[in-house]
Amino acid sequence: MASGLPVYDSAARRPPLLTEFSNLREHRGLLRLLVVRDLTVRYKRSALGIWWTMLNPLLTTAVMFAVFSQVFRFELPEGEPFVLYLLSGVVVAGFFAQGVIAAGSSIVNSAGILTKVYVPPEVFALAAATAAGANFAINLVPLLVIQLVIGWGIPWTVVLVPLPALLLLALVTGVGLLVAAGAVYFYDVLDLTGVLLTLLGYLTPTFYPVTIVPDRFRPFIEANPLYGFLLAFRSLVYLGRVPPWYVWVSMGVTAAAALLVGAWAFSRSWRRLVVLL
Amino acid sequence: MTAPVVQADALALEYRLARQRTGSAKEFAIRLLRRQVTYERLRALDGVSFRVDPGEVLGVVGHNGAGKSTLLKIVARVLPPTGGRIVVRGTVAPMIELGAGFNAELTGRENVVLYGTLLGRAPADMRRRAAAIAEWAGLVDFLDVPVRSYSTGMLARLGFAVATDVRPDLLIVDEVLSVGDQEFQARSSARIAEMMAAGAAVVLVSHDLDTVGTLAHRVLWLDHGRAKQLGPAAAVLAAYRGAA
Repeated sequence: MASGLPVYDSAARRPPLLTEFSNLREHRGLLRLLVVRDLTVRYKRSALGIWWTMLNPLLTTAVMFAVFSQVFRFELPEGEPFVLYLLSGVVVAGFFAQGVIAAGSSIVNSAGILTKVYVPPEVFALAAATAAGANFAINLVPLLVIQLVIGWGIPWTVVLVPLPALLLLALVTGVGLLVAAGAVYFYDVLDLTGVLLTLLGYLTPTFYPVTIVPDRFRPFIEANPLYGFLLAFRSLVYLGRVPPWYVWVSMGVTAAAALLVGAWAFSRSWRRLVVLL
Repeated sequence: MTAPVVQADALALEYRLARQRTGSAKEFAIRLLRRQVTYERLRALDGVSFRVDPGEVLGVVGHNGAGKSTLLKIVARVLPPTGGRIVVRGTVAPMIELGAGFNAELTGRENVVLYGTLLGRAPADMRRRAAAIAEWAGLVDFLDVPVRSYSTGMLARLGFAVATDVRPDLLIVDEVLSVGDQEFQARSSARIAEMMAAGAAVVLVSHDLDTVGTLAHRVLWLDHGRAKQLGPAAAVLAAYRGAA
């Protein structure tokens, strides 16, 4: 392109995946705007604004705390206060569930734009997942405040929390892209996803210690992709320990696999999806 | 000789649609198990070729379902063609159902920046241009109000102002010349004329044959996804009118 003009050639074959990632780089300004839009729209719609974001997991935690600290009592393996165990679990599981649903519905919701203006569709899915990630970051504030208030303290390892958070963002985006493709074909894919996410939620040790799970069911919990993320997050945010290498490897492999498969499947099917939008 | 802005060769768009389209994954799974799924091949466009040179206006006419919108979407890069090839050189300003990118909860200013960025411009540029765009649209007092409280006419004016706040090489126009009141219509027509004078190519779809006749140099007549005629506006329009 000697003239510097953008040229669109439908016959040009570009490498898959690579194209998607360079698209995202090119459209990072739009990505940032979409994330800000998602957040501001949510805050503007609720009277409590940004406080609602923090209140929501706190209320969930309060309900579960009431139930599980009075009715069922668990011995936690690390001897940490139940409220920390619970809130950290709720925050991580919430990031995953909200992010997958938001990214999964982002394409259908943006049909009005995507059928009129050329924008790489992946940008919308990534923006929705990133907005869920931003909410996750906001939700760290009440967790850390509680750590201070109950006298538990905040370990230095908390500065490493962005690492598992970024890997989780990749996982959410990858799964979200798969859901998004399905949601274009069938309207009930999002409902089915909601059911599966609830199931996954129970398979994630948010409110119970893994030790209460009978040995024969243990593999189901450990096969849950969220399990490693939750382990790493709890270690870093309040236990003050850097997780062992195999936890990092498992998170990295899960995240990379989900992102690659999601992006590949999505861009492969986009040609057929866009006529249905 | 300059390179054409749009060069389309034997464009085709074919897609497969499940005949019993249900929209539900559960039902689809059941049908799949019973082997009741059959597909239908639909051909929205079939071997359409044309070119548009700088400063030229190509009108596209045809009955509903002839493939006009499909063609515009292919030119706008939204739909990848399944056959043939299209090359578009330069920046494209699509004006298809203006305001599709607006979000009701955001203010006019926020929407101007978002919409402009969706159209491929830098957010910083749009922030700088927001006031001028609002002024042109006559919406200065409403710039920091959520567009939820805008009227349909105000939305369309703002959309038009954003979409045309560039010097595009190609303008894609789909029945939007009837935006706003008489005064605004006159100004928007003037603006499109200005862009054309500056060398922008235009692809124009309209049911209003008089509009097409005044603006277009050449006309493409689509019929069931095929190019029935392509040539000087007057001749093609006369044939099209005669056939109707």
